[in-house]
Amino acid sequence: MYVFQCENSLDGILTGVYDAWDSRLGHKNIQLSSESCGEILLFHEYIPVNPDLEKSQKVSKTLIRRLGMSFFEVICKCAMADGNCRKLTMDKANAVYQAIVMALALPEGAKVLEYLAEPCISCIFELCRQTNNEAHYMIEFLRFAELENGVLFSMIHPKNNVLPIVAEHFTDRFPLENFLLYDAVHQIAAVHKAQKRYMIVDANELNLDIIKRYSQEEQKYRRLWTAFFDTIAIDERINPKLQSQNIPKRYWRDTVELKSKY
Amino acid sequence: MKDTADNHSLLTNFYKSPAPSVSLSPTIMEKLTILTDAAKYDVACTSSGVDRGGDGTGIGNAKSCGICHTFAADGRCVSLLKILFTNECIFNCSYCQNNCTNDIPRATFTPEEICTLTIEFYRRNYIEGLFLSSGIIESPTYTMGLIYEAIYKLRTFYRFQGYIHVKTIPGADPVLIEKTGFLADRMSVNLELPTSDALKKLAPCKSRRTILTPMRQIQNGITANKNELMVYQKAPKFVPAGQSTQMIIGATPENDFQIMSVAEGLYQKFGLKRVFYSAYIHVNENAGLPALPSGPPLLREHRLYQADWLLRYYHFTVNELLSEDKPNFNIYLDPKCDWALRHLEYFPVEIGTADYKTLLRVPGIGAKSAKRIVKARRGSTLDFPDLKKIGVVLKRALYFITCSGRMMYPTKLDEDYICRSLLNDSSQIPREIKEQGYRQLSLFDDMSFSPVGNTANY
Repeated sequence: MYVFQCENSLDGILTGVYDAWDSRLGHKNIQLSSESCGEILLFHEYIPVNPDLEKSQKVSKTLIRRLGMSFFEVICKCAMADGNCRKLTMDKANAVYQAIVMALALPEGAKVLEYLAEPCISCIFELCRQTNNEAHYMIEFLRFAELENGVLFSMIHPKNNVLPIVAEHFTDRFPLENFLLYDAVHQIAAVHKAQKRYMIVDANELNLDIIKRYSQEEQKYRRLWTAFFDTIAIDERINPKLQSQNIPKRYWRDTVELKSKY
Repeated sequence: MKDTADNHSLLTNFYKSPAPSVSLSPTIMEKLTILTDAAKYDVACTSSGVDRGGDGTGIGNAKSCGICHTFAADGRCVSLLKILFTNECIFNCSYCQNNCTNDIPRATFTPEEICTLTIEFYRRNYIEGLFLSSGIIESPTYTMGLIYEAIYKLRTFYRFQGYIHVKTIPGADPVLIEKTGFLADRMSVNLELPTSDALKKLAPCKSRRTILTPMRQIQNGITANKNELMVYQKAPKFVPAGQSTQMIIGATPENDFQIMSVAEGLYQKFGLKRVFYSAYIHVNENAGLPALPSGPPLLREHRLYQADWLLRYYHFTVNELLSEDKPNFNIYLDPKCDWALRHLEYFPVEIGTADYKTLLRVPGIGAKSAKRIVKARRGSTLDFPDLKKIGVVLKRALYFITCSGRMMYPTKLDEDYICRSLLNDSSQIPREIKEQGYRQLSLFDDMSFSPVGNTANY
């Protein structure tokens, strides 16, 4: 068995797919791994993969051409997912590789994503669901604060790398705002300038002083919002279990209204 | 939105209400607290039903799946800024805390205040949009006019493209209702109580006619608008997320069968998107109202919502779930399980071959998992572990399905056996029953699973 060890990123995984395919070792003899320090097994040969933009783009183009945009989006969402999950039975890079091999071999192509009884497909389904769910949670629960210079700022702590999905949503929602979304876990940020596309940048370039200086109005609206939130609950129906089931506790610290109760 | 100095000055110029009882201008904080408190019993806080991208010239968009921004201490979703325009009211509905005979603090927003609050909350991603209702001030038409003014300003001056839900005021001028419908995403008129007798008793200023007239008007408006949109795609949209309504449960003696029949009628005859059920909460002392010492009937409300989903997404009819002889839902079992136990002749269902509609009727299989099963079985044969991954709740479904002709465990296809097994799992027992000091043995004393009454054997 040959194990291609790739970087845990979309480009890393797609380069791994390219190299694995290119090696002509036979799909049955190949595994991909996105974990850098996984268990080393006897009789396995480990081949490191260096992420290569050109190779990764070749694979993306092929996937889009042969299997369609929505298949490619699913692969992207898998790559964004945090692969460390008990529920998963397979490494995420390996699941992506096996699914691509399967889809390209079968005449129905992208439809293989519906065949949930296949181990690699059920793994992809689970990864994709993780990404989608957390992106939705972020869109629901992240809060912006207005800074002194009028920029809207938000800090998030997602497990999966969902920033591009979230930034896309807010670009459509706030076309005339300048906003900054800071993912403190993955140390990246999305910067949006009014009437422009957003950009993903390395968070090391972020000026952390500016984000602590709120506008004059900010405190007032936080107080109004907290008052609204506390008033809207009906005393006769108080149900803390239902509340934390609907908004998991790990998201409380980044909200305005539940931060103090965290 | 950079120009907030202007908005700010608007906020500090308080509106002089035409009603004489407001003499001192409360602060915006006081107004927000009073008018949120007054609006909180309305349950329709969803932002779903319409997909609209931003056009790049304003602020906001809408997602048809709906977005909840937080959950209050009662566990209910907070999606919209849910407020009343005013809690002044000339009506005297006995179940409502805003009724004109109550001595409570009153306040009235100005349209500017509503716009600024909505925009500033929306920019900070606190809310998905505005839910605007109101007490009746001066007259229904005057009130509707104020609501219209506020959302007109929000849509045009502030270029707000997020979600707006407006309460239609019964008895308001139809022209105003129509104009409002072209600005709002969803409109709703509250049916309040399931029968017109109950309405007459508890809400003497309202009548079935004044409630159903605007409901019919909006339904006709939506139909006409759909035809118009087919001819001219850019025609303005009329109430694109549809209409909803709400009924108060437990204030009057109607049974579940009556309530569900009313809901079914509203879906079929008025084309409603949603009917909401609101467990009655005792806010006013009044001889005509029940006291409900054990709190609002939350479990009953929950069962009604479950049944409502069965009507809307699972192709059930009310007559299949309830009848004159069995007019109330089983509180121990959800309506679908309850139905399945009384119709074991349809089971077990073979996962490999059953059609979509048959799968939908299996307890533990939802609309999503049924769709996934139908697609996934084209690729390979499904087994129980696969079903679990797909999202089927096996601990409910296992009694009712076979995979390749085999059941998960050897079980009996017997009503009492299945029922006992389901209820043995304490996670399946509703919270309300557990908290009432539920005991395993007492469970079967007051349940009638079948007309034969063979449960007495246990």
